[in-house]
Amino acid sequence: MLLKLTNNLAKTFLKCLFFCVFFILSPYSNAAEKSNDWEIETSKVSGQTIFFHAWGGAKNINSYIKWASNEVKKRHNITVKHVKISDTANVVARILSEKNVKKDNNGAVDLVWINGENFSVMKKNNMLLSGNWIKDLPNSKYLDFENNQSLLNDFGVPTEGMEMPWGVSQLNFYYDSKYLKSPPRSASELKEYIIKNKGRFTFPQPPDFTGTSFLKQILIELIDDKSLLKTRYVNNKHKKALSPLWKWLDQTTPYLWREGKNYPTNYLALTELVAEREIDIGMAFNIAHASNAISEGKLPNTVRSYIHKDGTLANVHFLAIPYNSSRKTASKIFINFLVSPEAQLKKQDKNFWGDPSVVSIAKLEKAWKNKFAMLPRGIATLSNEELTMKLEEPHPSWVKVIEEGWIERYGSNN
Amino acid sequence: MLNNFRRLLSKTSVVFIGFIIIIPMFFGFLGFFLPSFNYLPILEKGEFGLNYFYISMNIPGIYKSILLSIFTGLVSTVFALFFSQVILLYFFKTKFYSYIKIIISPLIALPHITMAIGLIFLLSPSGLLLRSVSPWLTGFDRPPNSYIFPDEYGFFLILGLMLKEIPFLILVSLSALREFSSTTFYNLGKSFQHSSFSTWFILIFPMIYKKIRLVVFIIIAFSSSVVDMSLLLAPSTPSTLSVRILQIFQSSEIDSFFIASNLSLIQLLIIIFLLIFWIILEKIIKLKYFYIYLIKITSFKSEFLKFTILCFGISLFLLSFMGIICSILWGLSENWYFPNFFPINLNVDSFLSFYNQNKSLISISIFIPLVVSLLSTTLIIIWVELLDYLNIKKTQFEWIIFIPLFIPQISFLIGLQSFIIFFDYNSFLIPLIAVQLFYVIPYCFIILAPAIREVKSEYIKVASSLGKNRIERLFKIKFPLVLPSLLTSFAVGMIVSFSLYVPVYFIGAGRVTTLTVEALNLALSGSKQDLGIATFFQILFPTLLLITIALINRKLMKWKI
Repeated sequence: MLLKLTNNLAKTFLKCLFFCVFFILSPYSNAAEKSNDWEIETSKVSGQTIFFHAWGGAKNINSYIKWASNEVKKRHNITVKHVKISDTANVVARILSEKNVKKDNNGAVDLVWINGENFSVMKKNNMLLSGNWIKDLPNSKYLDFENNQSLLNDFGVPTEGMEMPWGVSQLNFYYDSKYLKSPPRSASELKEYIIKNKGRFTFPQPPDFTGTSFLKQILIELIDDKSLLKTRYVNNKHKKALSPLWKWLDQTTPYLWREGKNYPTNYLALTELVAEREIDIGMAFNIAHASNAISEGKLPNTVRSYIHKDGTLANVHFLAIPYNSSRKTASKIFINFLVSPEAQLKKQDKNFWGDPSVVSIAKLEKAWKNKFAMLPRGIATLSNEELTMKLEEPHPSWVKVIEEGWIERYGSNN
Repeated sequence: MLNNFRRLLSKTSVVFIGFIIIIPMFFGFLGFFLPSFNYLPILEKGEFGLNYFYISMNIPGIYKSILLSIFTGLVSTVFALFFSQVILLYFFKTKFYSYIKIIISPLIALPHITMAIGLIFLLSPSGLLLRSVSPWLTGFDRPPNSYIFPDEYGFFLILGLMLKEIPFLILVSLSALREFSSTTFYNLGKSFQHSSFSTWFILIFPMIYKKIRLVVFIIIAFSSSVVDMSLLLAPSTPSTLSVRILQIFQSSEIDSFFIASNLSLIQLLIIIFLLIFWIILEKIIKLKYFYIYLIKITSFKSEFLKFTILCFGISLFLLSFMGIICSILWGLSENWYFPNFFPINLNVDSFLSFYNQNKSLISISIFIPLVVSLLSTTLIIIWVELLDYLNIKKTQFEWIIFIPLFIPQISFLIGLQSFIIFFDYNSFLIPLIAVQLFYVIPYCFIILAPAIREVKSEYIKVASSLGKNRIERLFKIKFPLVLPSLLTSFAVGMIVSFSLYVPVYFIGAGRVTTLTVEALNLALSGSKQDLGIATFFQILFPTLLLITIALINRKLMKWKI
């Protein structure tokens, strides 16, 4: 009781203090602004600034976002600030703590690049702008929602229009063809390869996105009953289903790079290791990653990509607006631009990002169709035919189990 | 009447400045202390409980993380203390002695993470050291896979911490040496036929230690809770406790905040434990028998041992400088693959494009330290003057200023962050500057406060007899007299602020970010060229600052003569 009282008193006092000291000094504070209803009245949001929280580890992606920001600045006078984050889970944690202290508007995040586990947490906790708003955006007409269910399902969780598809990814591997003639094309071949070539394979340390995805890939290839992965994970029912993955890891971990005692941080660190020939095989979710790296001089031009025989994990990544964003309309205008044929064309261009488009070519006007058809493919990028074998993402509830299981078994005992 | 009012105003200001430091500290502490006992009314958690201690202790590998933190913190401090003294002792009374300060200053000025990045560039399996002997000596045409870096025991973290702490300890020891007749002691010891080694450790070191004890404590607290260096140099399966706290805090569950708070408390307890352990260690060494034993073991005169220790000490220095050179080289390079010792192409294009793309980042990285250091210096001057005016002689309570250096940064900021969100304050820059003040004020204070207080009272008396009032005396007499210290304190303030990682990470929340944070991100994402460039800018700024200050000081010296 007393504690609560002093706590409250002190809070009030401190609030006053902060207010006095900083408010007068601060030219940076901006008045709270109520969110507008959705209208395509760009003049209303002209001059606004939105904070776009998106993973900022890759230079080409950052440049692409910068280009798109400049475009909406020119066209709609909206300033987009790219907040370069290292892990989207941090953003979720931040919005969650804002929700906890009931900061229901003026949140720090206006727009977030998201999918999978993070989306599922945000959806479960009502932290996203809801109401199927994606259909209201004019450019959503270029997306084929009827025939492409993956645009409305994020790791098997229905998006209910709370997030706009932005790009398509597929897990792919790459190697230097100068030194390696035929790379291993399945989980079991990979196991043999790892054991034969001690210290020449590794993956980003889970819970890194690519690292965890790699574990999911192995699990999907090894699990007896793949249908289990579509359902929610239940501990006593599904624990056994994971054992092929743990067995595979038990056998391979001692033969990994640095004997599995250290792991690279993310897929870009992996690229550097391949370039230096510390390891033989790299992996990425962006199908143009190897080509990009070659053109940036980060990988030798003999590097080539491949996927496993039974296919690899494929998913869609999205853009979502937190419930407490104060710039919902401006964010939607930016999103609308990002899914326009123009922005998607540039995104698919290997010289910019190389990320496959979410727009349906069939729905485009002829001029755009031609432009998409004319796009050159990178030297190390697989063709659409080679990428047809796609695996579906497991239900997001499996992610946590895999991550925690891996950390407990291999990530904390050395 | 007016005088009374003035006194009242001054008293209020003293209390006010005191509060500026104490209150956020109090909340920062409560912000992780209460949640670690399951108490946070906002989240409908109103009952104290120990459940999170149970949960924390059951996190896989948490004991290893705790041990790693204790081990690296303690060992790096002991080694850094030892080598700082060895280096000093072998240079004492040589003609190099007066140059030591010049050599170590740039090393002190570099951010911790720059040193860590240098080590990575140098020592990793594809690093420059191995390239220099490959393939002609080792036969490696690709990086070997048996070479372990970072190692699983944290030795590289210890090495990194040592490289940063040795110069710092040398610097404070140098000023301690000036405060007593060290040469007389040294000669005395030699005349008793002691070796220079034992002379140093028996006669001189205790005198130095008395003066640098606080600094040693700060180093212990810092190195056992360091975040940025651990991220780069510590093993990752599992990492040190501070990194584990960060990882848990970042995961997107409600409970993770409570677990992180609880671990933050444990991190604080570790520091308290280490400090108590250290004090006991001090007591043991002071014991008579132990001391006699110490005299015996240190009185060796083995030239070989002396040579080895000295070589090791010097190679530590070389390591730092090599690391710096590596960073710059990597920034300039293109297609630089193992085992080429030198990049095939060098160009400055990427430097220019980095500069063009990151102009605002670079300017904010300089703007924040500028404001923070200016504020700190001003606050300290006002504080010291007010205390002087009010005739408050008891400055014992000034240790409060140093508390922020003893609470682990990560714990404090986890606590403070939740309050800042709660305040609904829509700026990130202002709170960041406010928080940085805690970490900058102590260092500025160490340099500036004694200097102002040491101004001879005769000067002041003469000035006031000439009818100069307090403000005039401050600006016309004191400032010119303490100008070198004022400038040094300002520069140190900027450098400390420039290299802060954790406050920017938490309070800036990605919206305000600095070169230090970006460099760490780059180091983790692997692009060596970008990292080299970012590191170059990180080296450039403190170096330019140091040179400027040195030039100004030299000019001032000329005026005096």
